[in-house]
Amino acid sequence: MMRHEIQLLNQDLDQLVENAKSSLVVIRSGGKGIGAGSVWHGGGLIITNAHVAAQGNLEVSLPPGAGPWETGLCGTALSAQVLASDKEQDIAALSVDAQELPAIELGDSKGLAAGQWVMALGHPWGVHGAVSRGVVIGVGPDLPETPGNGREWIAASLRLRPGHSGGPLVDAQGRLVGINTMLAGPDVGLAIPVDVVKKFLKERLGSGWLPE
Amino acid sequence: MTNTLTGLSDALAETVSNSGAGVVRVEGRERLPASGIIWSTDGIVVTAHHTLERDENIAIGLPDGNTLQAKLVGRDPTTDLAVLRVESQNFSPLQWANPESLKAGHLALTLARPGKNVQATMGIIGALGGNWRTPAGGAVDRYVQADLVMPPGFSGGPLVDAEGKVIGLITSGLVRSVSMALPLPTVERVVAALLAHGSILRSYIGVGSQPARLPEALTEQLGQATGLLIVSVEQDGPAARGGLFLGDTLVALEGKPVRHLDDLLASLDAEKIDRAVSFKVLRGGQLHDVSVTPTSRPPER
Repeated sequence: MMRHEIQLLNQDLDQLVENAKSSLVVIRSGGKGIGAGSVWHGGGLIITNAHVAAQGNLEVSLPPGAGPWETGLCGTALSAQVLASDKEQDIAALSVDAQELPAIELGDSKGLAAGQWVMALGHPWGVHGAVSRGVVIGVGPDLPETPGNGREWIAASLRLRPGHSGGPLVDAQGRLVGINTMLAGPDVGLAIPVDVVKKFLKERLGSGWLPE
Repeated sequence: MTNTLTGLSDALAETVSNSGAGVVRVEGRERLPASGIIWSTDGIVVTAHHTLERDENIAIGLPDGNTLQAKLVGRDPTTDLAVLRVESQNFSPLQWANPESLKAGHLALTLARPGKNVQATMGIIGALGGNWRTPAGGAVDRYVQADLVMPPGFSGGPLVDAEGKVIGLITSGLVRSVSMALPLPTVERVVAALLAHGSILRSYIGVGSQPARLPEALTEQLGQATGLLIVSVEQDGPAARGGLFLGDTLVALEGKPVRHLDDLLASLDAEKIDRAVSFKVLRGGQLHDVSVTPTSRPPER
């Protein structure tokens, strides 16, 4: 019975990781540096951190082996344009010239609570598509020892490393709940809540990029 | 998906939310506040001694958002426990887990409230064992080591099991880079002693010592390989008054072997205060009996 429970957990984890990975992209800026991002909208909108996109000369590609892909993105790098970027909030929206990309399912960061299971995907130290797990430590604008006065964060027990920036934080159902942004300690990761990203996109790009 | 992972995730969050009602913020230092556990309905809170940098002007942040002034009842640096009292009659203390149900490898959560809301991290019970003595000499009834992340401000909060029952008060202040949970019997004992006396009473003889190897013949005779060589004797202290000298090697106290410092510390409990006890001592190659009357240990921070 016990073993069965663990197998069921593993099945769920397999599917969650596979889904999230299919929307996970590699972002190179200025020919160097590596960051992560997620396909927000199948029409070619990628969401990441502003600091990942800051150098310009952006290339977006899916991690090797992430397919199956019929859109030609796999392995090949497409140049990307910055549609909107905010240094303060550390959010950037990029566009690539591609259609029918698999967008990540969007979650709701308002409903997140301490203790919930979350996973971060990214490319820590350049390892493509690596997965980390943790739980939500806390959510909101009043977490102690977080940067930015009154800024909203998700704190999670995650080891975020260089290359995680801009990548997805997903809940137990694989829905995007945050954008992994920085660490607040060796084992505490901070992510921008997805609700903040939704608001940013609505303000900057209108309602046209709502999920399909 | 099978809903197993979402079920687990929901259960974790529910446990945090339920048991968070018994976790308070403890404001007793300059930097980030720490956490505490509601111990009893009449306003007693237990926390980690090392997070209290002051004895006065301590405040408790309650789950309902209110902040109350707290009085320090006492602290025990040897177990890293401190007891606070606030004026409240309607606290709801957390339930404690049955220790028999615990196993290494079980999922566990640690809860904290360094800010306004309850926070949590998840991990497993890493190691379980019998009683142990902290580096500072405190007696702990059970060895419970947690394998989980402890962000700043988590010390003093509870380590809880899957049902949200308290496994122990968690602290990173006892053993470097290890999260230890102090089990119920230890917390009960320290709380009772601090409520009664304001400190943990221990007896004291006033010597400095280090373990020393015994001659081979004596090792066979006594069945122990080491004793405690006295390297300093406090002037006019209990040991000096009883006639212990620099260079003596303690080998037994009241018939119980003294092999290393832990043996001596374990024996010097409150019951021996102001009561003559007999040491067996190796001096000049001969065994002697020396009577010493311990005093109560001066309080320490």
